[in-house]
Amino acid sequence: MSIQNLIMNLQKYWAAQGCYLAQSYDMEVGAGTMTPDTFFRVLDKKPWRVAYVQPSRRPTDGRYGENPHRVQKHFQYQVIIKPSPPDIQQWYIQSLAALGVNLKYHDLRFDEDNWESPTIGAWGVGWQVLLDGLEIAQFTYFQQAGGIETFPVPVEITYGLERLEMFLEGKDDIYDLQWSDDVSYRDLRIEEEREFSEFNFNHADIKSLQKKFSLTSEEAGKLIEKNLLFPAYDMCLKSSHLFNLLDSRGAVSVTERVKKIAQIRNLVTKIAQKYTSREGSS
Amino acid sequence: MEFVLEINTEEMPLLHVKAALQQLKRNFEDVLVSKGLVDKKKKPGKIETFGTCRRLIIYGDLIAYQRNKEEIIFGPPKSVAFAPNGSLTPAVMGFARSLGVKVDSLEVVSNEKGEYIAVKKIQKGRSAKDVLPQVLPDIITGLSFPKMMRWGANDFKFSRPIKYIFCILEGEQLSFMVNGISTIDFTTGHKLYFPAPIKVKSFQEYRRLLKKNKVLIEEKTRKARIKNLIEKKLAPLEAQCFPDEKLLDKLANDVEYPYVFLGAFPKKYLNLPIEILSTAMREGQNLLSVIKGKKQLPVFLGVTDACNDAKGFVSKGNERVLKARLEDARFFWEQDSKIPLKERAKNLRQVVFQESLGSYEDKSERIKKNALYLVNKVDAGKKKQQIKQAAELCKADLLTEMVREFPSLQGKAGGIYARKEKYSFAVWKAIYEHYQPVSLDDPSPSSLIGAILAVCDKLDSIVGVLGLEIEISGSKDPFGLRRNAQGICSIVLDKKLDFSFPRLLDKVIKVYEDCLIKNRSELKEICLEFFKNRLEYIFSHLGFRYDLINAVLSSGVDNIYYIFLKLKALDSLKNNSKFKTLILTAKRVNNILRAQPKYRVNQDLLIEKGERELYTTHSIIRDNVRPLFSSGDFSKAQRIVLTIGSSIDNFFDNVLVMAEDKRIKRNRLALLQQVSKLFSQIADYSEVVIEGEKD
Repeated sequence: MSIQNLIMNLQKYWAAQGCYLAQSYDMEVGAGTMTPDTFFRVLDKKPWRVAYVQPSRRPTDGRYGENPHRVQKHFQYQVIIKPSPPDIQQWYIQSLAALGVNLKYHDLRFDEDNWESPTIGAWGVGWQVLLDGLEIAQFTYFQQAGGIETFPVPVEITYGLERLEMFLEGKDDIYDLQWSDDVSYRDLRIEEEREFSEFNFNHADIKSLQKKFSLTSEEAGKLIEKNLLFPAYDMCLKSSHLFNLLDSRGAVSVTERVKKIAQIRNLVTKIAQKYTSREGSS
Repeated sequence: MEFVLEINTEEMPLLHVKAALQQLKRNFEDVLVSKGLVDKKKKPGKIETFGTCRRLIIYGDLIAYQRNKEEIIFGPPKSVAFAPNGSLTPAVMGFARSLGVKVDSLEVVSNEKGEYIAVKKIQKGRSAKDVLPQVLPDIITGLSFPKMMRWGANDFKFSRPIKYIFCILEGEQLSFMVNGISTIDFTTGHKLYFPAPIKVKSFQEYRRLLKKNKVLIEEKTRKARIKNLIEKKLAPLEAQCFPDEKLLDKLANDVEYPYVFLGAFPKKYLNLPIEILSTAMREGQNLLSVIKGKKQLPVFLGVTDACNDAKGFVSKGNERVLKARLEDARFFWEQDSKIPLKERAKNLRQVVFQESLGSYEDKSERIKKNALYLVNKVDAGKKKQQIKQAAELCKADLLTEMVREFPSLQGKAGGIYARKEKYSFAVWKAIYEHYQPVSLDDPSPSSLIGAILAVCDKLDSIVGVLGLEIEISGSKDPFGLRRNAQGICSIVLDKKLDFSFPRLLDKVIKVYEDCLIKNRSELKEICLEFFKNRLEYIFSHLGFRYDLINAVLSSGVDNIYYIFLKLKALDSLKNNSKFKTLILTAKRVNNILRAQPKYRVNQDLLIEKGERELYTTHSIIRDNVRPLFSSGDFSKAQRIVLTIGSSIDNFFDNVLVMAEDKRIKRNRLALLQQVSKLFSQIADYSEVVIEGEKD
């Protein structure tokens, strides 16, 4: 049992459901939802099936490697299928069986939880999936992205890989997980968590973050004018991560928070509008 | 004949299921009655609904065939039907031809306009089997939910994706389509364990086979089963489940066949306040707390969906998750305790309440000013110091880690921290309770200071948001203003707070200074109207008659508690015959006075006995009820006012109001105006509907 085994099983399972297996996006993002393989592809009218691992960074969740479940970087397994198939819940349930979960002895629940990401102007309806009380996935029918109504409707399943692996291995501490038979999560990650927690909370240079934030968001605006939508979106992702770092440094007042989120959302909304009119859809 | 419909969906929230079942029942019943397929007064006629998070079920005992109906189609008038020679005119021939009937089946039928040539046709009653498929799709697509969604490549909106629609009539499949989904003739058992098709022929069989396949269709049965299993689990411990009906309702909705499991957590977490413990258990994991006497035990209860936890995995898994959450909570509790609330409150400056309405520091400051005003009005003036402290601290917990992690603890967390910091009972309790009531069935704050704080906090939000010209409409109420207004009304009624509401509004508006866009008098009117609507809602929710509600609210909202007392006074007399007579008299007085300018009574002009008597009776009554009005004893006042009845009757019998002499006439009108004024201090009687009388 190991995380990499879990990933291989998920890859095999979702490839068999017709998903294209994407590689992780090469930028800091807060969640798998934010990468272009999800963000752009849910906007147009073409069918789309994709699955991928996405390292996700949430600077404020850093705990210096001392908390058994909170980390500032974790791994998500993201599945997007558009349009949502009628028996998608069943597919998901079978994926758990494929991972070796015997549902006869466990309590699986779909508990109401509607997801929303103001930064990318997106919301959806769905559940958090609880397995014996542990949240192991988020299951969402996207209703809107980039401020645009999604049609056909995509379904998103996001597995929290560490959580799921803790369940499978029956471990209480994230660092006790095995990444492979020989390499533990501790070996791989704990130093990184310590240093990044230091960086996120104490050392990230506020002035430089602020400067970079205005540079990347300005550049996003210019790129949108030039119809270079993918690069423009990258700039938005950068801005978003810089914002998160500012937040973990405690440098964002509440008013500024609202303003900065709105600033990114406006850019993202413009990109979404241009993208859909270019793709001749919704 | 038996009808069963099941809409099977992915997991719906409790509120959605409740809303849908109500609509289903009402709309289905209405359609059936209008189509003559059910007779409410007779059997068969039973219609019942059932639901789980995955099913909306409706069962009906229907009439198989509509009754035959005679239909009369009118043609030309008889006067133009016959030519002078007695033969039929072309108009009549054309009429017969257009309907495809022979002329000898024509008849002469009269209606209110005269005699006409007509055809009587018997319309055969259609069968339920024909009618239902035409009406059911609209009933299903017409369901509305608090939040709707789309799925797949379909524009159709529903609570959650529909998986199938099962429908049988007298054991046979009833076919129709709802947005591309065609009905099927089988249902399925529990989604995880018994997904195979189940064919059923009757409702009884449906219920029985579903039970066998781990689905209990009745919410009541599931809830009873949960309670029963809880008792069994707790019997050896001689402990009780900490009552949480809301959570039990959610669980009874969320599972189709409940099993209960017991788990434990390390004793050291018992040091956490009980509110924090139970919140950590309830939120996220839906676990119930266990108490013995008044003491919390280090165990919890959980409910599974059809899994009997044969190997104890469910309980172990939940223990693990809970331990992690409690560890977080303990960390927050310790971290938060390091900074006193007073210090924390200083940072509220940086927390925006609403962009134009300033920070939470500004809000706390406004709450303080308004609360200090209100505390004087409701005779609690001695508590000023405590009010001041509570108002200054009440929002500080927004900055704690605990509230960030468990937002539902806002207020409570502040109260607990204040208690820990040894603030007086009055202060910490007020902070603790000031968000209450959060719904119509949530209790009002128990303490007076808590109540005052809650009223001022909520009213500040209402005035602020309405003052910014933000529209509140049926579906749009992002700030929960309606809930807040209902909260205020409930508190005022529960705590018997006796004060002038419009004056408090003046104060609240004034305290906002120049923040608001709307002009003050206009804003005040809007707020009063808003509260009038809320009061109507609450009063009707409490079961009062609409006309009585209108009678006490028609003059607008002043002292909210007094309005309630007036309503109760009216309500207690509504079946009294004297009262009915008085209402009719009051209506008569109203009609006479309509459009009359105001006059003054001149005693010297009261020349007839009847008017002198009325004048005297009125004066006596007026003087007697005056102190009752100001002390709020409207029941007694109302009873005294009733005694004016015979004097007025006598007046109307013997005195001519519209006298020739203008001065006399005006004087009599003035007298009636005084009487009318007396009435209006209790209610506008003309709004009250007397049986058998149409307004």
